[in-house]
Amino acid sequence: MLRIKFQIRSAGIASKLFAIDEQVISVEIDNALPVTEGEVFLSLTVGFHADISKESLSNQLPNIQIIDMSEANVTPHTYYLSVLADLSDVSVLSLLTENKAIPHTIVGTDSHLDVVASVRDWTHLKEVAATIEDNHGSLELVGTTQTESIGFPLGSNKVKQSISGKLSDNQLEVLETAYRLGYFKVPQEVTAEEIAEELDISRSTLSERLRRVEHSFCALLFGPQE
Amino acid sequence: MTTIIIIKSADQRSAVTEALDSVVDAEGPVYFLRLPPVRCLGPLVQDLNPMIEHGVTYSIECLPERDDVSGLVEFAIEVDADNICIGITSRTMTGKAQIDELMESILLHERLSGDIIVGDHLIVLEELEYEM
Repeated sequence: MLRIKFQIRSAGIASKLFAIDEQVISVEIDNALPVTEGEVFLSLTVGFHADISKESLSNQLPNIQIIDMSEANVTPHTYYLSVLADLSDVSVLSLLTENKAIPHTIVGTDSHLDVVASVRDWTHLKEVAATIEDNHGSLELVGTTQTESIGFPLGSNKVKQSISGKLSDNQLEVLETAYRLGYFKVPQEVTAEEIAEELDISRSTLSERLRRVEHSFCALLFGPQE
Repeated sequence: MTTIIIIKSADQRSAVTEALDSVVDAEGPVYFLRLPPVRCLGPLVQDLNPMIEHGVTYSIECLPERDDVSGLVEFAIEVDADNICIGITSRTMTGKAQIDELMESILLHERLSGDIIVGDHLIVLEELEYEM
């Protein structure tokens, strides 16, 4: 099985959100449930540059019904949206599932969508890429890796979703980089200095962020400190 | 078993070593395919000594200047390659092998099919079949 990362031009709900007056930083599709009549129920995480109200968003997205909207605890101007949208608003997701590929992440920025998905093999990769290219006009393969496990399909990574609301982007970045580079392995595959260099932060800042992450994990597990 | 090892830069020693260790066999020839930006492969290949260390016969070829993926596919068909090895130059933050323009063109080429293996330092396209 191959895990692939590719980019396509921004489309669907991401491009609609980027077209509103308030500046949007990123849009991630956390979950999607099909509803009758070609509609889909979507859970989204949307980062804005400033605060935004549900009313303002509803007025600017007339064809999308906002069911619920809440702000993330730690990351400012980041909102969790539950919306009812047309299936065509997540066409890349539909194309992936129709072609029996497994979507993992779909993140929109102002110009493109970053998509991570799993495909069976090389032939399947070409079929999926051709279908998406036909429908979206272009596709750029960014990366690939071989994997034995199916991983978390879109929306099923509940732990990560829970944590992502409790840790800041900086803390998550530090944690993920340290994990990916092998900092938590025994023996360590990378030193703290090397991680700090990778992230372009000082050794003391790295140490502080990692301790805050550990503190947040403990708070999640054991509740707030008395 | 005929193997093409595509070399995009002269410092891809680990990719070439991995190809010689895990892909090629002594039965068939190996073609080191130098892409135009790479000026000379002699020192790299001689240093690895494929003939003595791995018992393979090899030759060094070069794609013409400004050639695209079709030239590479034509070459693969001409030598009836079973495998194509492409070095991984970098990885994404999550460990995926970064795919450049050439690699993308090869992976999505309509005339090529087979199996794909992502190794430590190279991507191997094996059991290649060609649509004429």
